Amino acid sequence: MKRTKAFTIPYVIWMAIFVVAPIIMIVIYAFSGADGGFTLSNFSTMGDYTVVFVRSFRLAIIATVICLLIGYPVAYLLSKEGPRFQRVATVLIMLPMWMNFLLRTYSWMAILENNGLLNQFLGLFGLGPFQMIDTQGAVVLGMVYNYLPFMILPIYSVIVKLDNSLVEAAHDLGANSVVAFRRVIFPLSLPGVLSGITMVFVPSVSTFAISTMLGGGTEFLLGDLIEQQFLGGAYNPQLGAAIALVMMVIVVLCMLVMNRFGEGEEQAVVL
Amino acid sequence: MKKNSAFSRFFTVLVFLFLYAPIILLIVFSFNQNNSNVVWGGFSLHWYKELFHNRIIMRSLYTTLLVSLLATVISTIAGTFAAIGFYGLRRRTRSALNTVNNIPMVNADIVTGVAMCLFFVAFFALWKDFALWVNSVQSLFVLPTRLTLGFPTLLIAHITFNIPYVLLSVSPKLRQLDKNLIDAAQDLGCTWFQAFYKVILPEIKPGIVSGALTAFTMSIDDFIISYFTAGSSSSTLAMTIYGMTKKRVSPEINAISTLLFVTVILLLAVINIREAQQEKAAARREAAPSATVAEMAGSRPRRTPLPVKAAAVAACVAVLATTAVGAFQNTRKPMVNVCSWGEYIDEALISQFEEETGILVNYQTAESNEALYSLLKSGAGDYDVIVPSDYMISQLIEEDMLEKLDYNNIPNFSLIGDQFKNLPYDPTNEYTVPYTWGTVGIIYNTAMVEEPITSWSAMFDDKYAGQVLMFRNSRDAMATALLYLGYDINTTDEAQLRQAAELIADAKGRGVYQAFVMDEIFLKMEGGNAAIGAYYAGDYLTAVENNPDLAFVIPEEGSNWFVDAMCVLKDAPHKAEAEAWINFIASTEANLANMDFIWYASPNEKALAEYPAYYEELYGEPLEQEVYEIIAAPAEVLERCESYISLPKETRQLYNELWIGLGIQ
Repeated sequence: MKRTKAFTIPYVIWMAIFVVAPIIMIVIYAFSGADGGFTLSNFSTMGDYTVVFVRSFRLAIIATVICLLIGYPVAYLLSKEGPRFQRVATVLIMLPMWMNFLLRTYSWMAILENNGLLNQFLGLFGLGPFQMIDTQGAVVLGMVYNYLPFMILPIYSVIVKLDNSLVEAAHDLGANSVVAFRRVIFPLSLPGVLSGITMVFVPSVSTFAISTMLGGGTEFLLGDLIEQQFLGGAYNPQLGAAIALVMMVIVVLCMLVMNRFGEGEEQAVVL
Repeated sequence: MKKNSAFSRFFTVLVFLFLYAPIILLIVFSFNQNNSNVVWGGFSLHWYKELFHNRIIMRSLYTTLLVSLLATVISTIAGTFAAIGFYGLRRRTRSALNTVNNIPMVNADIVTGVAMCLFFVAFFALWKDFALWVNSVQSLFVLPTRLTLGFPTLLIAHITFNIPYVLLSVSPKLRQLDKNLIDAAQDLGCTWFQAFYKVILPEIKPGIVSGALTAFTMSIDDFIISYFTAGSSSSTLAMTIYGMTKKRVSPEINAISTLLFVTVILLLAVINIREAQQEKAAARREAAPSATVAEMAGSRPRRTPLPVKAAAVAACVAVLATTAVGAFQNTRKPMVNVCSWGEYIDEALISQFEEETGILVNYQTAESNEALYSLLKSGAGDYDVIVPSDYMISQLIEEDMLEKLDYNNIPNFSLIGDQFKNLPYDPTNEYTVPYTWGTVGIIYNTAMVEEPITSWSAMFDDKYAGQVLMFRNSRDAMATALLYLGYDINTTDEAQLRQAAELIADAKGRGVYQAFVMDEIFLKMEGGNAAIGAYYAGDYLTAVENNPDLAFVIPEEGSNWFVDAMCVLKDAPHKAEAEAWINFIASTEANLANMDFIWYASPNEKALAEYPAYYEELYGEPLEQEVYEIIAAPAEVLERCESYISLPKETRQLYNELWIGLGIQ
């Protein structure tokens, strides 16, 4: 297979140009001022945005935990169903992605508005109206809703490949189902869990559409902050690049720590 | 194996309900008679019919399909070969490359998008110098000097984020492959390509198919990366939807999404049924005693049956062919890129202009003057005609971003009223043709407030906490506070500006604001979701058509009056077409139609005077004087109003700083 090595060359070049070079551009921008000269001022003001960093990471962590708490049981239960049910269910989990996420989020706006469907429904029982939209809760809901499939599918695809004889062996050795789950199934499904967490956390921490639509635009998340500097109302790409860079570094560090902890070498990722 | 209990089944069903509730809602409301997403007005197929006449939606659908298909095909082929190449590498090298490969997947979309946008724009700048140099040293050919974001950059971005998915789903299949098989094939006389085609390909095919499927789904669903790399000339469906969610999502979008969704369901259903049938057949064969080992090995279930695959391929080819033909035809036609605001034109005018002149109009919208400025500066907005407000126009002129107009090509400029010519933002009137003018005020819901609103104090009052909508752009938001404090809206005094920002921040801290909005205000005010909101007079009249409880006031402290004018950007590639468009829009007929549709006052003298008669003729009833005065504020009201002027650079920076400060609070 020697000659196949040559196949990597075009892709390596492609990656160098369109993956690595753009990231270098971000670094260059982050360290330059509006006049193009080198400066650290973009980072020295970073302290002002601590609130946004904290808020974004907090909401993203909450959303990721909720996704895990809902997604793991669903993945686990699915793997115990018949093959036909499983096949239909996995398709059904992927399917919402074919309805654009902005549109689905917009639909949530109609549901959560003060005069929206949910409040109208609750009104029938004399409840409410509750302020649901334009709150942090609504933003978390939007994240959970949009990224839940990214949690279910990787976990499911790991669990479904688990060697059932391991579980049987655990039972034979006297483990009840709780112990068997805790000592055998869960540790083995960890790679799926880790890639699920990555796939939910990263888009959640950097979203801007969801927070504008469901959060009312009153409290910026990191994504809003970055978008505002590039295409939004406060043009300053150097600062935007610096914020993006800091966010990227924090996220990568989180992932490294997590992967070390889960010793996930080549993860069994994706769909 | 243990079966799931009723409880856990119930849990699964609940989760699916959660996933599908909004989708079902969208589908149901695509059959709605009126244009609401909340109120059911009866069953109708109206929006499905409208859909095919909506040029903007059809175009973005076409861009989406084309880019997704091309990106999928290219990235599937590239990714497969890359995976084979990776497979032959030493372990160390491979894991290093895999790390780079994972970057686009692990990196946040917004970082990837921003990075590519910066990269492309930097490349274009280098290219310009290079092309100018090449053109200066030889005369054999002329290189284009002005490159912009557009379909090619969009495609590159999609390919870049798709390849990793393909690689990731092909690689495991390759690892399962027995290396000896290839050697055996080659020993038996296969060339390398034959071995590849006959041995490797069939083994890794499931990986390729699922990789391609993932790539396609990712492409279709992507918004953020496209948003930063597509530029203005080729917006995808997601980008169109994003533009709409800021004002009013037209139900045609529900309709097109329903169609797409149903198509995918049907396709998947067919595939699944076929698969199930094959599995059953396979099971039957296995059960038969006469089956040999070889037969059993050969009958393992295939992932996708051949006819379905063939049909899918045929469908793809058909779509590609038609889109390619469409693209070819479109590129040959003259066109003009226009960027305006949401709900700011009678869209019939666009079709009329296209029919009369044969010039295609690519009509885009921006959210605010500040956002438009960012779009232009970042290179993401590549327009010919823009319609900024007065103060932004002076800023653009100051930064040499506008092109002087040739008024010989715009004879209708003479129809513009004298009081709208030579205004301070363009003192000698070389760059602009006014589009509309209007005032800023407070829209409120009479059913939700106790007494009429008369003062800007309502924007900062605890009394309506949680019911107030504030502007989501710095200039207008700050103006409400400055007016309330009794300061000049054009003040450059830092202390006054900080005090104004403090006032808004304080009100925000006390929970006065339900949201910071731009065109979302339509949805909020019409639905009775908020009681008070500061916005533009014309938009009030649009909203009041859908909710008669709404009222409008220009507060006693005074307000802002503005002119929005059409200008052409420096080095615009379609200057002649742009001037034709401007001339068309400046005509009395277009101004009347626009005034009737968007309720903003026309700067065209004749149209402004004739509008009440036009209205009466059209609707059979006279236009109320009160309404007319909201559209075209009378002199005594305008006396209380002031227009924005462009602020010095330091003040603009202060605005940005204060604005971001408000958002991060």
